[in-house]
Amino acid sequence: MIEVKNLYKSFNGYPVLTDLNLTVQKGSIYGLVGANGAGKTTLIKHIVGVFKQDKGDILIKGCPIFENTLMKSNVGYISDDLFFFSMYSLKNMSRFYKKVYFSWNQERYQFMLNLFRLDENKRISKFSKGMQKQAALILTMSCMPEVLVLDEPIDGLDPLVRKKVWKMIIEDVSEREISVLISSHNLKELEGICDSIGILNGGRMVIERELDELKSDISKIQVAYKTEFPEELFEKLDVLHHEKRGSVDLFIVKGNRNAIIEMLKNLNPLVLDVLPLTLEEIFIYELGGDGHEIEGILF
Amino acid sequence: MFQLDLKNGKPIYEQIVDKFKEFIITGVLKPDEKIPSVRDLAKQLTINPNTIQKAYRELEYQGYVYSVQGLGSFTSSPDKILDTNKVDHLKEQINNNICELLYMGFEPDEMEKYIKNILSSWKGGRQND
Repeated sequence: MIEVKNLYKSFNGYPVLTDLNLTVQKGSIYGLVGANGAGKTTLIKHIVGVFKQDKGDILIKGCPIFENTLMKSNVGYISDDLFFFSMYSLKNMSRFYKKVYFSWNQERYQFMLNLFRLDENKRISKFSKGMQKQAALILTMSCMPEVLVLDEPIDGLDPLVRKKVWKMIIEDVSEREISVLISSHNLKELEGICDSIGILNGGRMVIERELDELKSDISKIQVAYKTEFPEELFEKLDVLHHEKRGSVDLFIVKGNRNAIIEMLKNLNPLVLDVLPLTLEEIFIYELGGDGHEIEGILF
Repeated sequence: MFQLDLKNGKPIYEQIVDKFKEFIITGVLKPDEKIPSVRDLAKQLTINPNTIQKAYRELEYQGYVYSVQGLGSFTSSPDKILDTNKVDHLKEQINNNICELLYMGFEPDEMEKYIKNILSSWKGGRQND
């Protein structure tokens, strides 16, 4: 549904996105994560056709998105900095959206208005920040887009509202098979909602995988042997991080979990615990390089 | 229907698979009972439908559920289920527990008696069914 191929973009000769590929399938929820300044918002602005790429292709349903009004009416986008006409109430805004988007669904609008309990006659500028975000969500999701692009949609929302937002998104994904791309720093919540994850760093896609695959590929291992840790194992394992805690060795290891367990078991460990990593831990280990910079931050 | 633990590092589809197995084994879900559709469960748990789909495929593969075209998914009868992974895992657990008990000074004879007791009471329970 969303395809980005070999995207390159520079601002004033300074490359911001280089050789970037991304694919979001129909009916999939894609989580875009990355450090601050990694290029998430820039990438998103290309996907919704706000920025024009220097090189590469950006396709929505197989068509280039830039200056493509028809395609754009299929894409719902909530940016990081929201925009509403000054003096407008939610009701005025909804009238405007109704004229612009053919697919506007008044029932959905009423339903979401009740769900989030917003006053449609109040001026949006008088809303709190979180309420403005909810207003943007109501307007965007009432256009019934096939592609939903959300730049940090849940930041600043209270837990109850966040739950409601996820419920609405899940409903659209399961009933209408829409594609959703979400950028967020709230990795714990992304973990429950996304099926694919892309990790962006320095304008490049570092990892793009199915979330379950990613998690089964990387494990935290605690192991202790009677004697020192057998050195030859270091060569066989793809170690991202190693730490000695007394007589116990802690490893973060890439690769097939069962194969690793077999390998470690063969040498009769006294203790062997293998734990899956959370998305947050994966993020830190993947972006923390060889582990020097992250020492001390972790667990 | 049930709660998932997002803080647990275990992949969510695995958690769903395990929960359903537990329900089927303990009889909370009766044989040939209909389980929720992918969409319904996704909405109920606020979990990605693709994740639920994956869990259902795995359950079907392991023989815990079967699907009927147009009707949905149903639980299998217990005798159709064989999950070698789980069998290995359980054997290992028994092994660990026995070792621990022996380490704590449990006599092997006592152990044998204890295990026999469990087995005979299970057999008795089966005959009463």
